[in-house]
Amino acid sequence: MNRFDLLNKIQNILKDNLVICNIGLPSQELYKINDQPNFFYMLGSMGLSSSIGLGLSLSQNKNVISIDGDGSVLMNMNTLATIGNRAPSNYTLLIIDNGSYGSTGDQRTFTDENTSLKDVAIGAGCKNVVECSGDETVNELSKAIDDQNNSYVIISKINSGNVKIDPIPLNPITIRDRFRKFIGIVKYL
Amino acid sequence: MKISKKIIDNLKKGGVDFYLSVPCKLLANMIDILEKDNDVYYSAVPREEEGMGICAGAYLGNKFPCIMMQNTGIGNSVNAIVSLLQLYQMPVVFLISYRGTPGEPVGAQGGMAKITEDILQTLRIPMLHCSSENDLEKISTFSKHAKVVESPVAILCDFNLMKDDK
Repeated sequence: MNRFDLLNKIQNILKDNLVICNIGLPSQELYKINDQPNFFYMLGSMGLSSSIGLGLSLSQNKNVISIDGDGSVLMNMNTLATIGNRAPSNYTLLIIDNGSYGSTGDQRTFTDENTSLKDVAIGAGCKNVVECSGDETVNELSKAIDDQNNSYVIISKINSGNVKIDPIPLNPITIRDRFRKFIGIVKYL
Repeated sequence: MKISKKIIDNLKKGGVDFYLSVPCKLLANMIDILEKDNDVYYSAVPREEEGMGICAGAYLGNKFPCIMMQNTGIGNSVNAIVSLLQLYQMPVVFLISYRGTPGEPVGAQGGMAKITEDILQTLRIPMLHCSSENDLEKISTFSKHAKVVESPVAILCDFNLMKDDK
């Protein structure tokens, strides 16, 4: 199973929640599978999906899922300490860990060598850290969303590999405003 | 404490209700004030760039965020400012302790001090430079300006302004 297959499998869970999606192919694949106004696609700032989702979950009550990658979490690893100390119960971090920098040509990351993001997350103080296969991810993500009392970090171990895909044809302000309209903040559009 | 209280009061008057900091000794009094304030959210964060991401999310969730940091933190955050906050036009207030300005005892802070305003200018970030107590009155209007122009803005507080704020 690669990232595209996984995103296909979890799309029914994603469509009912606020989703922050990682820059590059993850966002492009999610857009292609099932574009929704409650999906915030990152067009820049690699590494910050988990942080944007954390700020959002601290600011309103709807469930938030940050979709991140192993390469991106490695770039902003202090985020796990902040999540371990500050994440509210409406926050779920889904790390799609395919052991590679998918958007830049599938170069290997350190999670394909010695690094375990599960161990790092636990060491950083995160509760409810789950490492699972791609097939188990639907179930684990559902459980995390249904649990109103706890935040989760789910590390979904899948294969590398991408589908051929185009950039997202939305401008950033459109992404921003339709997302905020979904939450009920922006009235126009 | 007087200066720090005035800064926080003016930020709150400007609508800021979500605060992060990467600590600095010049920000210590403000952090104390915010930790005791139940009307606003406050947390420390390990790194400024990460804080920019959290502020972006807070803005999406209808908060008006401020990140407090040393001017060195701007150096750590340039891509997040340009490719996130400015790309999506998100108002965030940067409250910056301007280390390396006259009065600073640590020579090594001088390097970033020399280029801080150039970086902010290159990024086209509106600046409010506070060097005396009177300047602090401008903070509330300046903060509101961030929302009007949908842009991050920077408030620079000189070393000598903050150093005796016991």
